[in-house]
Amino acid sequence: MILDAPAIASLYRSHGHVVLRRARTLLGSEADAREALQDIFTALVRNPDAVRSAGSIVGWLYQATTHHCLNTLRKARTGARVLELHVRPGLPEAGGPRGEAAAEVRRLLALLPEDVAAAVVYHHLDGMTHAEVAELLGCSRRQVGYLLERAQGLWDRAEQTA
Amino acid sequence: MNLAATPLSWNACLSALRLDRWMMGELDAADAESTGTHVSSCAACSTALAGMRGVREEVRALPLPIALGRPAPRRRVPGVAVTGLGLALAASLVLVLRSPPAPERSKGSGLALTMYVQHGNEVRRAAPGEHVAPGDAVRFAVLSLDPAGRASVYFPQAARAAQVPAGTEVPLPLGTRLDATTGEERLLGIFCGSAVELEPIRVAFERGQDAAPLPGDCQGLRWSFVKR
Repeated sequence: MILDAPAIASLYRSHGHVVLRRARTLLGSEADAREALQDIFTALVRNPDAVRSAGSIVGWLYQATTHHCLNTLRKARTGARVLELHVRPGLPEAGGPRGEAAAEVRRLLALLPEDVAAAVVYHHLDGMTHAEVAELLGCSRRQVGYLLERAQGLWDRAEQTA
Repeated sequence: MNLAATPLSWNACLSALRLDRWMMGELDAADAESTGTHVSSCAACSTALAGMRGVREEVRALPLPIALGRPAPRRRVPGVAVTGLGLALAASLVLVLRSPPAPERSKGSGLALTMYVQHGNEVRRAAPGEHVAPGDAVRFAVLSLDPAGRASVYFPQAARAAQVPAGTEVPLPLGTRLDATTGEERLLGIFCGSAVELEPIRVAFERGQDAAPLPGDCQGLRWSFVKR
């Protein structure tokens, strides 16, 4: 598979929605979601081997988006996002009690270890089976069960200390 | 909170991954057939799929990022070149400013970046998050709070930071006519005590490495405006 800039542009058109939709959910910000979309495909121009060696383009985009968004959430949590000087507008659904609860989920996701957070995202936010999560994480289904149990424990503890 | 019942939890029977793979033709024939049969009789999965298709249409309507082949926006810049970092909806512009040499800098002094927007005959000082329109002219100024009243400026067509004349409010000979790309545009001003190399900073900024450290004697100032 030749993945030059025109091929990646075509991939952007055909598969970009996979990134944008999930980034919107994970980040709760239209601007950040579009940045994620752009960053992920722009990175592909620099390193096309990343997706060329993947068994599934959709699967690779899920992994890349999850990794990118969890990093973004962590940066926001630690205040390392030095380019931000103002509060960016969120998606319309960001308001109200439901929006606050969604923001709380994102805050808690940023507290979890990477593999645990990714398991939560795949299983609960994407509705994946343990087998699907295991495929994307490159681990066993049993490990997925362990990660999700650990996530709920850490989640409960974080809520109690919040 | 139960992780399975958050506001962000998935509501359809089939996973998003499965629906995406089905939509993109990644499933084998048997899985594709069973998925199609299920979707045709499941309201929740049909709704989820309709949402996915909607986002797909949105992305198809978006301008391509410049790195993927979209022509770089044309900017009219009197006298100097501006480094446009060309991100589709978050186009970035690096504006680098240089402070006086460190030994001359007084403690507590600082610099600021102010943007002026010209729309028609009206020129106004812009606030962070300012809404502007394609075709508006923007102009940047340095406000120096340094007791010595000196500031330095770097124009991005060169590789290193350079000096600007002294003054308490020094308009930079730098302006740009906004291109038609709408969305948020970010500015990064870097005030440094030395003539730092700009390319590594530009690359980090372009890559969205927001936390990328600036050279030790630099301070960064960020600004953004929304073009719509």
